[in-house]
Amino acid sequence: MNFVVALVVGLSAGALYAVIGVGLTLMSVLTRVINFSIVAVGVFGAFLSIRAVPLLVQAPPEVRTAVVVAIAVLVAATISGLLGWIEATWLAEASTTARSAVTVASLLMLISLSFVLFGSRPQPLRPLLVGPAFVAGDIAVTKVGVALLITAVAVAVAAWIVIRRTPLGVQLRAISDRQTAAELLGVNVKALQIGVWVVVGGIMGLCISIIGNTGAADATSMITLVIPGAAAALVGAFKSLPMAIVGGLLVGALQGALTAFPSITLLRDWIPIVVIILFLLWNQRKEVWDVAR
Amino acid sequence: MSRASSARSERPWIPLAVAAGAIAVGVGFAFGMPAYVVFVSTSVLVSMVSLLGLGIVTGTAGMIALCQLSFAAIGAWILEFLYLDTPLPAALGPMAFIVFMLIAGLVTALLGLIVGLPALRLRGVNLAVITLGVAAALDATLQKISFPDHGVAHIPRPFGLGYDPQGDRAYFIFAVVVTVVVALIILAIQRSRTGGSWKSVAFSERGTASAGTSVRTAKLSAFALSAFVGGIAGCLIVGQITQVNYLTFTPINSLGLYVLSIVVGSHLIDMALFGGILFVLIPEILKQMRVPLEWSSIAFGILGIQALTTNTNLGSTIRAAIFRRRRQAERQRAAESDVTSTLTTTTHEAPIPAGTGRPLLVVENLTVEFGAVKALTNVSMTVEEGTILGLIGPNGAGKSTFVDAIGGFLPQHRGTATLDGQSLDGLPPHQRARAGLRRTFQQDRVPPTMTVGAYVRFVTRGTADALAIDDALAFFGCPEASTPLSVVDVGTRRLVEVAANLAARPKLLLLDEPAAGLSHDEHIAFGDRLRRAPGHFGSTILIIEHDLDLVRSVCSTITVLNFGEVLATGDRTTVLSNPKVIAAYMGETEML
Repeated sequence: MNFVVALVVGLSAGALYAVIGVGLTLMSVLTRVINFSIVAVGVFGAFLSIRAVPLLVQAPPEVRTAVVVAIAVLVAATISGLLGWIEATWLAEASTTARSAVTVASLLMLISLSFVLFGSRPQPLRPLLVGPAFVAGDIAVTKVGVALLITAVAVAVAAWIVIRRTPLGVQLRAISDRQTAAELLGVNVKALQIGVWVVVGGIMGLCISIIGNTGAADATSMITLVIPGAAAALVGAFKSLPMAIVGGLLVGALQGALTAFPSITLLRDWIPIVVIILFLLWNQRKEVWDVAR
Repeated sequence: MSRASSARSERPWIPLAVAAGAIAVGVGFAFGMPAYVVFVSTSVLVSMVSLLGLGIVTGTAGMIALCQLSFAAIGAWILEFLYLDTPLPAALGPMAFIVFMLIAGLVTALLGLIVGLPALRLRGVNLAVITLGVAAALDATLQKISFPDHGVAHIPRPFGLGYDPQGDRAYFIFAVVVTVVVALIILAIQRSRTGGSWKSVAFSERGTASAGTSVRTAKLSAFALSAFVGGIAGCLIVGQITQVNYLTFTPINSLGLYVLSIVVGSHLIDMALFGGILFVLIPEILKQMRVPLEWSSIAFGILGIQALTTNTNLGSTIRAAIFRRRRQAERQRAAESDVTSTLTTTTHEAPIPAGTGRPLLVVENLTVEFGAVKALTNVSMTVEEGTILGLIGPNGAGKSTFVDAIGGFLPQHRGTATLDGQSLDGLPPHQRARAGLRRTFQQDRVPPTMTVGAYVRFVTRGTADALAIDDALAFFGCPEASTPLSVVDVGTRRLVEVAANLAARPKLLLLDEPAAGLSHDEHIAFGDRLRRAPGHFGSTILIIEHDLDLVRSVCSTITVLNFGEVLATGDRTTVLSNPKVIAAYMGETEML
């Protein structure tokens, strides 16, 4: 039974990794960047939004919550949009590696800023949803976990619909496949790319508001959740949204299930990354050369 | 002029002189500066060694690695383990630290090799994610197992140096010597064939394999050496502060190091030193100003974004400026002395080379299928030694597929190929290149990070000396050896590629549209040089070319491919007047 409990706890964390993985995959597909700052912008939005709580003591709780979440989403979207603007302005033609390296630099900045602004102590970041969604015996599935899984699937489905079924999707696919060609056809590449950054940033702001401080103790540990999130996206090779969700749940489940075996506590930190590397090596076994020809 | 430039690049005593000077300055610094400054300066050296190690993978070999301090942590852990949990220190006496440092470096290199293994299939940012994952996992592990000193025992310094200020000064000198030795080794390897393979693999894996270098060896050697140097840096940290914990090596610090490496361009030795100074000085200044230390990382982040958005790093910018000034000075000198160094233009045209009559390359029933598409069907061909064979055909006829298959890039093909009696079947590309089969590419596969001369030396696998390199470059009218390839235009780069591959004196050279991007005059000059090439370099040539004027003027034999099959083959005049060939080319070109 212990094992199943641990597995379910792990799956809840896995739902968060899945959301992050979906966000990373979307950005990779649409804007040619692995955004290492993706969680950091969300954490910034959420942590800055709780500064507004003292100003809202008069307001009814629902309004307060709505305003705080709105601030979190707005701040995260703005920071993300700013990064997107930097990428679209100066690195439009740059390689994926260079574009991603910028997000490594901004991640470093945001982590350090979070130390300065939020310190390393836990903050009163109340999760949007509290308590179990349903209970069966010893097993309790949290609302947060369910909400995040729904978010991950919803974002993936919405993205699929927008990309495959709308005129906007055609433009988005055009700028990701052949940016220069799309530009020559009069597509506003810069605005669209910044748009993707803003939307994904906003989603991350929302997600961090949902999990509140249940995800990790402090801002910095929360920002580093991008690592298992990236591992999740890696399962889908930063291309497949469903595989990113599967990957997130897989990483979470592995981490959770392994807590049931205290004797291998050291291996626990390594098993997810090793499993992913082995999966990728198998999956990419034909990628012998860097280019097709 | 070109002779003078190769002489300048061959002054092996310069690095040694600089190294000796650096040690002298280090000794003076150690005894002339306040004790605290000396202690902090040791951190500069440690950061510099870390940056040098990182520069191998990120700067030279072009991969993102976000776990450099993990390697340092492993090195530090092993050193402490050897000191505290084995009977070795008593046996080794004063040499213990150095021996342990080497063991720690070697074990770390082995682990670096394992971390590098995924790099054989995973590239770019995928690799970045994996290295970050490794950094996070190791961080978690270290928090649990902690270091062997457990925060109580102090690790003895080398040669029994004390923990007092006097010991700090002496340890600084020790760190200077280690840093200088590491820098010298890295510089030597960077200038060697291995270093060339790192730069080449960063730009193109196919180009690297075609130059006879194993891509696997290139990538893994970069990771292993980078990890080795990382491990050494970890040992230096232990010797400096004599007690370490996981906080010294957090993944965030690895990120900071990576960003700094981008800012300065840490594959360059002097820039790694500068980076080390920045890495220590900025936090130190903030400490004096009582500003939170985190602002230094914020500053590094901003500098990193600036460097990336302008696509430059400090080191390359400085070097480009120096090169421009030197070039200007040289031009001025040349203009003053008014030396008209006219190219060795020959009055008579070289004849089309006649072969020896011996078959060199024999291809039988070569068939290549991409799924349902048959790119080549039962292609058989013989190339006579000493000749130039033209392989022509409309777009999509399978010419480049043929070169790819013969070059070893399409292992799933059917049929056989023998070069000079040796079977090529089953050999990977780099072994075919070593067997004497070279090729050039339609695309630009010449790494812009090298100089012309270094590139030729890399492609020839060190078989050509400076004279032979200058000769091959002059033969094709290429820029002189000291020119950075980054300032050479794409058309000329392809000439350099041809010259380099001929300088390797292969038995057979496959040229895939070498003249694309050349002007009409250059075309004619290129054709003349090509006709002389078999005699000059002792190589047989197979050329794919769309310009039938060029084909007609250099080839004795022509094979025409159409829809993956041999349409015609034989003497050039017969083939070019063949009605089937003319029909296949109709609308394709008006030259016929």
